Amino acid sequence: MESKILNHKNIYYPPGGILIWIIIFLELITFGIALIVMVFYGQKELEIFHTSRLQLNTTIGTINTLFLITSGYFMARSVSYLRKGQKEKSSLFLKLTMLGGLFFLGLKTIEYYFKIEAGLTVGHNTFFTFYWMLTLFHVIHVIVGLVILTSVLVGLRKNPSKVAIEDVEASAAFWHMCDLIWLLLFPVIYLLF
Amino acid sequence: MRGITITLASLLILTLISVVFANYAHGYMVFGILILAALKFIGISFCFMELKKAHSFWKVGLLLFLVLFMISVLFLAK
Repeated sequence: MESKILNHKNIYYPPGGILIWIIIFLELITFGIALIVMVFYGQKELEIFHTSRLQLNTTIGTINTLFLITSGYFMARSVSYLRKGQKEKSSLFLKLTMLGGLFFLGLKTIEYYFKIEAGLTVGHNTFFTFYWMLTLFHVIHVIVGLVILTSVLVGLRKNPSKVAIEDVEASAAFWHMCDLIWLLLFPVIYLLF
Repeated sequence: MRGITITLASLLILTLISVVFANYAHGYMVFGILILAALKFIGISFCFMELKKAHSFWKVGLLLFLVLFMISVLFLAK
């Protein structure tokens, strides 16, 4: 495994690298502004947003939150084991991380299926326009995260000596970013109105 | 390793509390939900993402974003 000692207290070397943190901030600001606009419209159409929110399945949203948080925990442990040179355990926890992501996508698919069946599509009302745009955009991030983690897993299997811990940390930071975005989406979309 | 396990347990409990809070509390519901979400956000960023090891610039930047977001939502949803 390739690694060099980085001082994370240096402003240019946050854990995961400066580039991934610039992306994280841009993503958080984008989703943050979209959610603030959603709350703004929510106050204008209070009744519609309330009745629409009640049509969402909070249980599925909650279970998905638990999946993503647990998946993030597995990712943190995978990075921790890799730093200690325990590649087998790191790979195992990486697989568990990806499993959490796949469960999230599975439940989201079920949720989307029932919404489409009920006719609650993107043009149904303002609430569902925001719901579809924000959650689908997040789902795309989760899929991209899974692709990145798959490449890390393949690297760990085929040529572990070439895997740089900085790259794994950056991949982990991207995965945790999906958690952070969901932690903003979940309360506003599923609970607030 | 023990620290992140404790963080995980706290995050799971906070998630369940926020759902119960949203269903049963009405007076300060918005405030309560946002505070719980902010705590979870801090738990993941500082513990799982190891932001606690980073330069203050990144810590302050993320906390600033969080505070601005929460204040904006609270102000609009009141």
